[in-house]
Amino acid sequence: MTADALVQSILASLPEIVVVTGACALLILGQLVRKGQGRFLVCTSIAVVLIAALATLMLVGEARPAYAGMFIADRFAVFFKSIFYLVTVLTFLLSRKYTDIEGIESSEYYVLLLFALSGMMIMASATDLLSLYVGLELMALCTYVLTGFLRQQRRSNEAALKYVILGSISTGIFLYGVSLVYGITGTTQLDGMAAAVTGAPLDPGLLLAVVFIVAGLVFKVGAVPFHMWVPDVYEGAPTTIAAFMSAGPKAAGFAVILRVFLNPLVTASDAWIIVAVIAVVTMALGSFVALVQDNFKRLLAYSSIAHAGFALLGVVAGGADGIASVMLYLLIYAFMNLGIFGTVIMMRNGDVSGEGIEDYAGFARSHRGLALLMLLYLFSLAGIPPTAGFFAKFYVLVALVERGFVTLAVVAVLLSAVAAYFYIRIVMVIYMREPERAFEPALTPLVRAALAVTAIGTIGIGLFPAWFLGLAQNSVFGG
Amino acid sequence: MAFPLLSLIVFLPAAGAAALMFFRNDDAVRWTALGVTVLDFALCIAMLAGFDTTTHEMQFTERRSWIPVLRISYALGVDGISALFIVLTALLGWICVLASWVAIDRKVKEFMVSLLVMQALMLGVFCALDLFLFYVFWEAMLIPMYMIIGIWGGDGRVYAAFKFFLYTLAGSLLFLIGVIVLYLHGGTFDILVLTAQDLPFRVQSWLFFAFLIAFAVKVPMVPLHTWLPDAHVQAPTAGSIILAAVLLKMGAYGFLRFSLPMLPQASVHYSTLMLALSALAIVYGGLLALAQDDLKKLVAYSSISHMGFVTLGIFSLNLRGLEGGILQMFNHGVTTGALFLFVGLIYERTHTRSIADYGGLMKAAPVYTVFLALFVLSSMALPGTNSFVGELLVLSGGFAANPALTAVAILGAVLGAAYLLGMYRKVALGPASVGTRFKIHDVNARELAAILPLAVLVLWGGLYPKPFLGIIDASVKHLLMQVHGSGGGP
Repeated sequence: MTADALVQSILASLPEIVVVTGACALLILGQLVRKGQGRFLVCTSIAVVLIAALATLMLVGEARPAYAGMFIADRFAVFFKSIFYLVTVLTFLLSRKYTDIEGIESSEYYVLLLFALSGMMIMASATDLLSLYVGLELMALCTYVLTGFLRQQRRSNEAALKYVILGSISTGIFLYGVSLVYGITGTTQLDGMAAAVTGAPLDPGLLLAVVFIVAGLVFKVGAVPFHMWVPDVYEGAPTTIAAFMSAGPKAAGFAVILRVFLNPLVTASDAWIIVAVIAVVTMALGSFVALVQDNFKRLLAYSSIAHAGFALLGVVAGGADGIASVMLYLLIYAFMNLGIFGTVIMMRNGDVSGEGIEDYAGFARSHRGLALLMLLYLFSLAGIPPTAGFFAKFYVLVALVERGFVTLAVVAVLLSAVAAYFYIRIVMVIYMREPERAFEPALTPLVRAALAVTAIGTIGIGLFPAWFLGLAQNSVFGG
Repeated sequence: MAFPLLSLIVFLPAAGAAALMFFRNDDAVRWTALGVTVLDFALCIAMLAGFDTTTHEMQFTERRSWIPVLRISYALGVDGISALFIVLTALLGWICVLASWVAIDRKVKEFMVSLLVMQALMLGVFCALDLFLFYVFWEAMLIPMYMIIGIWGGDGRVYAAFKFFLYTLAGSLLFLIGVIVLYLHGGTFDILVLTAQDLPFRVQSWLFFAFLIAFAVKVPMVPLHTWLPDAHVQAPTAGSIILAAVLLKMGAYGFLRFSLPMLPQASVHYSTLMLALSALAIVYGGLLALAQDDLKKLVAYSSISHMGFVTLGIFSLNLRGLEGGILQMFNHGVTTGALFLFVGLIYERTHTRSIADYGGLMKAAPVYTVFLALFVLSSMALPGTNSFVGELLVLSGGFAANPALTAVAILGAVLGAAYLLGMYRKVALGPASVGTRFKIHDVNARELAAILPLAVLVLWGGLYPKPFLGIIDASVKHLLMQVHGSGGGP
């Protein structure tokens, strides 16, 4: 590699370098900071993310391939990185008070989140199955540890262990698919794979490889049949981490799926049938099982499964509109889901866990504003206009019907009517029950800021989606 | 661009709701809500004063680009079909505020906010000229209505609220798919452009049934009506009035605005099926009403029967039927809205809705019973009241289209007389019963203020319906031309 190419590569991966360097620095700084200086950690972490965001924005102009075709900084990656920055910053804002209450405050918490962020960023930019794997594992390892961060709690440990074991298996499946691809086409680069099979009839072995790769990725987004870890991990993990995982790594998983599916190889392989089946079953399972949940975090876990199914329908639709619809869906989902998680995190105070749905009975009586926010997030998750959640679903449906998948669209809307039930059930508990106790939500300025950002995103994108829609559409094909 | 009168009408209640959030005093909330709704009504009257009855074109139109990529615009306008309903919605707005003045005694602020938001969304539905915008208004209505039924309703309110929400949501989601298919065929969400396009019959058929489910849930048509008695009975008075007078109209409005002009061949092809469903609703609704002991349920089931006349008129697909159907939509809004108001008034005093508990109200509350008689007679379509004109037009239109089914429908009119007169006899006449154990005072000035405009409309519509027909005439003729092709209909 010439010096010039190296400089170009470093420039293209500047945001990743910033985050990794920041995380390493924080690892050292964290040891020097006295206990109880959490504010410093939060501020530094947010500063690191913001600098990385700045670097990303500077690179937005053109597509920059780097590291001999293993990495690319294009608009597609920028869009996803923006989602990751958003999710990470919001998680930091929500974490400060929560970690204090749970007694898990330490610099490693923030460092691991930053490393997970860099992993996700690499995933979004990877154009080679191996660099993709590096990003995937970096993110996964960090989230394994973070899931078990509540060291004193049995269910947190259990969740972490479950997550590690199932996660490793899925990674193994993914790697096996990669090795098959390499064996058949002689390359692990996404472009190379496509070139190797152009014109020739599809090798059944290659189809098998695609199935394995898809299976490995489907685990990350929590779709059926690799969804079993989701409810247990969400319930056991610290709520902030569950919130992070529901929006960040899920979006990263979708970024990779889209990157692979942009590829003509997969388009030619009729793999969309598999994805369509997965999508419908995922939606159905998530929606129906969520109906009977009493634990808020488990309910949100199944809700996130259902949403993953809906977003997968956008992948099925494919084409520019399909991909843009998935991207927009994930952005909107990040806003509304972190919003609702934010309210659950806020309820954790003193000896109140805030995890039972019944804990929220009559919440609207004493906290009108917060109840209204929850109402907003829940109706958005249910997909009722004029919230952003509606537009997200609407655009996926447009993409689906455009491709002629009308039946799939009908199934999708009927299942989302089922899903609406458990969201409005929470609204019912909040508004239509009598309060049984006093509420003391842990509202700090940082939590308020996080809720304000998510609320503005949820209602703002709903009312004025044009700009965000344009952004997603422009980001589809690199450039 | 001209003065955005329609935007003002639509968003004034929403702005009022936002302002109410900062109020602390319940009385201030009530008076502000009343002020906003009355002002909104005045604006609607101003709109009607400037309304040109000689044209079918959209008037007071506004258009702004909203989501250019998908060719979605913010477009409002009003024609002869929507004008009456905008005015009706605005009128019932302040009547609902008056009806809830003392009936709602807890969470007054939240209630008025919900009511005003609801008001804005309903007006938006009738004004929207863009399918996407229409759908946003249409579906967003579920949120405030769910809250109104679920928080301030009766004992079974939670169940009723869920049922209402899920039924309507499932129906409208199919409509959403239909909207998207229309968009992909026409390349725009502009209702007027979509109306002009010519779809193949197969597509029209599919869309017709997708739309039918959505609108039939709202109307409601048998067999998709089962949410209605629950929702009506459990909702607070203002909620029942809104449901009966405005929400049910939206289903029929959907047929008029979308099914007929956009899917003309399918509408003609399936008109017999629709007429049969209408006749079924008329008779079945009437029979159900006959068996009720609960006052609110009786009125609720009578709504199903009466809305059957509306759809019967619409799908007669001739001038008299359509004009009668639209007029009947308006009349039903006035009359049934009033009946729910009356049930609410008496319930506030006695806390029972069972007909068996009442008797001899005439002595205790003469003014109340006289007005009740007026609205009961109107509901039966007695000559001289508004419903007579509407029902007569519907039936004469129906006979031209399908005599046999219309004959069945007339049976429903007879049933109507049976259950309404029976109810009136048991409640108002006869010996005083348990009901009078309570201290029943007659209607007060506030309640009279809510009743009088409705009473005036009943008599005005019955004795001199020409102004009402004049408003809708041009638009209906144009609609018929769209349905039957440029050759003009029978």
